[in-house]
Amino acid sequence: MSLLKLCVPGDRLCGAEDCIPGTGTYLRHGYIFASLAGYVLRKNEGEELPIISVVKETEAQLLPDVGAIVTCKVTSINPRFAKVHVLYVGSTPLKDNFRGTIRKEDVRATEKDKVEMYKSFRPGDIVLAKVISLGDVQSNYLLTTAENELGVVVAHNEAGIQMIPISWCEMQCPHTHVKEFRKVAPVQSEYLQA
Amino acid sequence: MAGLELLSDQGYRLDGRKPSELRKVQARMGIFTRADGSAYIEQGNTKALAVVYGPHEVRGSRSKTLHDRAVINCQYSMATFSTAERKRRPHGDRKSSEMSLHLKQTFEAAILTQLYPRSQIDIYVKILQSDGGNYSACVNAATLAVIDAGIPIRDYVCACSAGFVEDTPLVDLCHAEETGSGTAVALALLPRGGQIALLQMDARLHQDHLDPVMEAAMTACRSLGQVLDGVVRQHLQEVSILTGE
Repeated sequence: MSLLKLCVPGDRLCGAEDCIPGTGTYLRHGYIFASLAGYVLRKNEGEELPIISVVKETEAQLLPDVGAIVTCKVTSINPRFAKVHVLYVGSTPLKDNFRGTIRKEDVRATEKDKVEMYKSFRPGDIVLAKVISLGDVQSNYLLTTAENELGVVVAHNEAGIQMIPISWCEMQCPHTHVKEFRKVAPVQSEYLQA
Repeated sequence: MAGLELLSDQGYRLDGRKPSELRKVQARMGIFTRADGSAYIEQGNTKALAVVYGPHEVRGSRSKTLHDRAVINCQYSMATFSTAERKRRPHGDRKSSEMSLHLKQTFEAAILTQLYPRSQIDIYVKILQSDGGNYSACVNAATLAVIDAGIPIRDYVCACSAGFVEDTPLVDLCHAEETGSGTAVALALLPRGGQIALLQMDARLHQDHLDPVMEAAMTACRSLGQVLDGVVRQHLQEVSILTGE
């Protein structure tokens, strides 16, 4: 990492033969230009050419991208899919809600045809999911929970008490010991406080 | 206008400027914390306020979502008290709609919209006080707001107006010059690359006079680019001090 240098949009950083353009830059006419106002960062990540990027001081608005792990809240359920609001991308909260969809086929990796949505999610649950597509006009982001570490992380029963996961498909109320079905993500208990 | 002399024999304008001189430009970034980006600019007596929200999910009509790039939504309005005669409709009239469309086209050319597919960027600009050069003030304010929001942009979009009086190009017209001289050219330029993002001209001008007017406007835009550059760099320094860099 070299010395921090200020740059503004339109600044020419280097030639296209010297660096690989990273985030906050764009390539035009054989030169790399800055597209953000911030600091120039030059990194050598094992390749023969360093990656040059521009880092902003205060992070800009983040958009969920394909492959990102997102935290979302279930808003509605029907037999074919669950509608969710994306609240976090990784550990960064989003200013605006982004709508997403978890289809029945994307709930789990095994026995896809036997999935029942009301036994996997309930409205109000907090779900960890991964973005698999930017979706189409109707549904925006397509999400999947078909991995071991994805699924419901926080759920409340009808009395409003937060339930404890006891297996990959069940959660239990600590007071009444009533069990409910959920597609559970194995989250360590200390992370639930955050 | 009878009796009003736009350019004196000694080469001075109504407010004492030379023909190629800009009015004083003052600007600030980051004035609203609730917006993603905001900026305020004064060009002489013209005062403009710009806020930027986004990129965020497309609201309202879902069918206008573009699968490969962001939608830019611009809204231009003038405060009722911004002109000498109080305006009845600050937005929604034909002139405001035309100005909103011009702003939208200008920033579609400058913002790297392909980085944000299926999203929307909102730019709202308001004129608090109008003394000529409204479009220029809006474009310059919105440029600062977009940079404050951290949206990738090719270059500063610097806009300036120009006119033609007594065989002399004038730049950065004030209200009296806009109404009195007849000819008014509005130019939005990306100064480092030299691309013109928008060009608008009213009234009659001989073709031979177009080149000097364009040249004067582009020179003024480059000067404005330096002013905006100073504002952005100063803002970056202040942010660095605040975050303890």
